Amino acid sequence: MFNYNFQLALKSLKDRPSLTFLTILTIAIGLGFYTTVKTMSYQGGQVPLAHKSNNIFLVQMDNREITAEEVAHQSRLVDTTYKDTLNLMAMDLPGVKQTFNWSTYGILNVEDENINPLRTFAAVTSSDFFTMFEPPFIFGNGWDKSVETSGEGVIVISKLMNDQLFGGKNSVGENVRIGTHTLKIIGVLDTWHLTRKFYDRSFSTARPDNFFIPYTFAMENNLPRRAGFDCWAGNADISRSFRTENTERLINSECAWVTFWAEIPDDQVENYKQQLNNYIEGQKALGRFPREILTYVTNLNDQFTYINGRNDFMNVFSLMSTLFFAVCLLNAVGIILAKFMRRTKEVSLRRALGAKKKTIIAQHVIEVVIIGLLGGLLGIVVAYFGLQGMMNIQIYASDYTRRVEDLQPLYALDLAMVANAFLTGIFCTLITSIYPIWRLCNTPPASQLKSQ
Amino acid sequence: MLRMENVSKIYRTELVETHALRNVNLHIKSGEFVSVTGPSGSGKTTFLNLAGALETFEEGDYFLDGQNVKGLSDDRLSEIRNEKIGFIFQSFNLLPDLPLFDNVDVPLRYRGMSSKERKERIEHALETVGLASRMKHLPTQLSGGQQQRVAIARAIAGSPKFLLADEPTGNLDSLMAQQVMELLEDINSKGTTIIMVTHDDQLARRAHRNIQIFDGQVSDIEKAVANDVMRSA
Repeated sequence: MFNYNFQLALKSLKDRPSLTFLTILTIAIGLGFYTTVKTMSYQGGQVPLAHKSNNIFLVQMDNREITAEEVAHQSRLVDTTYKDTLNLMAMDLPGVKQTFNWSTYGILNVEDENINPLRTFAAVTSSDFFTMFEPPFIFGNGWDKSVETSGEGVIVISKLMNDQLFGGKNSVGENVRIGTHTLKIIGVLDTWHLTRKFYDRSFSTARPDNFFIPYTFAMENNLPRRAGFDCWAGNADISRSFRTENTERLINSECAWVTFWAEIPDDQVENYKQQLNNYIEGQKALGRFPREILTYVTNLNDQFTYINGRNDFMNVFSLMSTLFFAVCLLNAVGIILAKFMRRTKEVSLRRALGAKKKTIIAQHVIEVVIIGLLGGLLGIVVAYFGLQGMMNIQIYASDYTRRVEDLQPLYALDLAMVANAFLTGIFCTLITSIYPIWRLCNTPPASQLKSQ
Repeated sequence: MLRMENVSKIYRTELVETHALRNVNLHIKSGEFVSVTGPSGSGKTTFLNLAGALETFEEGDYFLDGQNVKGLSDDRLSEIRNEKIGFIFQSFNLLPDLPLFDNVDVPLRYRGMSSKERKERIEHALETVGLASRMKHLPTQLSGGQQQRVAIARAIAGSPKFLLADEPTGNLDSLMAQQVMELLEDINSKGTTIIMVTHDDQLARRAHRNIQIFDGQVSDIEKAVANDVMRSA
């Protein structure tokens, strides 16, 4: 019976090809737009380091003055002070890796006089940044702790800068200058795809930094600091000056400006939190941390859940795409209803000749599934071009500073999204066709077979 | 074969209640050729629809080949229509985009027969109606009479217990009507019960028995004549 119903379904699709095509096209346009936005939302919401995103934690401690406002969510709490950063780094925590970072800036030069100097930003960080966050290298690697101890001037650069400054060759061993400081290239990163630049807590969609410099070198050579200084205890008025001067005072201040991360195994998380509390208790004895102990140790998953939930633009865009898809489905249902109701006489005849209701239903379900499949297929094609279009809009909006290879993963239709589009096409077409099928099968056969 | 006991059919709308059939008592034996006549709106088509299990009824019982069809599920009624009843319509009701072979095949598909058996039955049915050579033609390539013969082939292909014919010659000229009637008589002579609704008195008289429906009530012409004779006596 399935074969017969399948043949009847195919015959029906060929019966009025224009209506069939219109139905498929309507579904495809709605599904294509919906899949485009859903893909952008899905890809853009992907948590980096998925294999260990539950174990990468942002560490925050509330060192603020007693009169400071209460903080309801970790996103509102300040970063870490420099002295707390060093103290935490010095703690003996087996199995735990820790790192931190802030941003610096300057004019970068290379020896090749044909290359113009460029004003750039860089991330100042520690050696474990590379082992924890796993940026991919094409040449060389990051530095180790001995470099931090010695204060050596080394630098890791991005592929974009390597292409721009050195023509893409292996530039390990080459020198660059930031201001008056010479740094030796020890590693070149490949294109590092991050859905959001999380490590500096901006969670922006900007690309990762182009340069990475050891913190010891940055502090010893007073490289300018680009950070939001949350200061109190007599430093609030001069916080702006900490960008370029008053380094000694900054190091010892209660200003929070360093973003601190830890990679903690599952079985060590509670111990780490306890160690944090113990540290604060110890510091309280020294007159610091005047408020009640408040720490946040928040993993990447939870942070991205919060950020994605607050992405109002994408949430509204997703809602719009869902509504548009619903409108397209309603239109498709109208066409399917018209198509099916033209067939009431034939269905009545078949029922009179012995076809059961469920056989008629099966025949039309097969037809609707084929329409959903074809709509899904065409919808994927529409989504592909939709995503390419959105990516090009993004490149244009960035004044062409973003490149295709930077953005491609955010606009990529992977297997999961393709399967999702197919299943959504079939399922939604089926659901919305329930009424036309019901109408058709419940038409009393006798009413359509009267003598003329 | 077919027995109705006090069967009534009422059509209800928000404003009006129409008694299409009232207390119909009827017994049709196997092998009979019964004509059903009556004025327009008398309930002939309703009677045919009930007899063909295409509609349900409110009161009474209807025994078809010994089985009471009242209260049967929709699926079971479909099976009964498929196995026991052949339908012939005034407007033929052939599927215009299917060749004759596939048109006759329709009821057999829902019987679950093998393709070999279906092919044999279809060829035999089309031979019976004299159209075996045109089984690949479309209905639109045939005359009205030929189309009705294909409809008859479709009706008999499944070897039903009886045929229900609703004005089978209504859309045909007299010559074609004659041919169709001869075909029906031939089928009846082989044992198939036929119930035929007709406006044509001449055709009605060719049946073994005539039933008249008037205002939803059924009377046998034979019985009516006997009553008249008794009243006049």
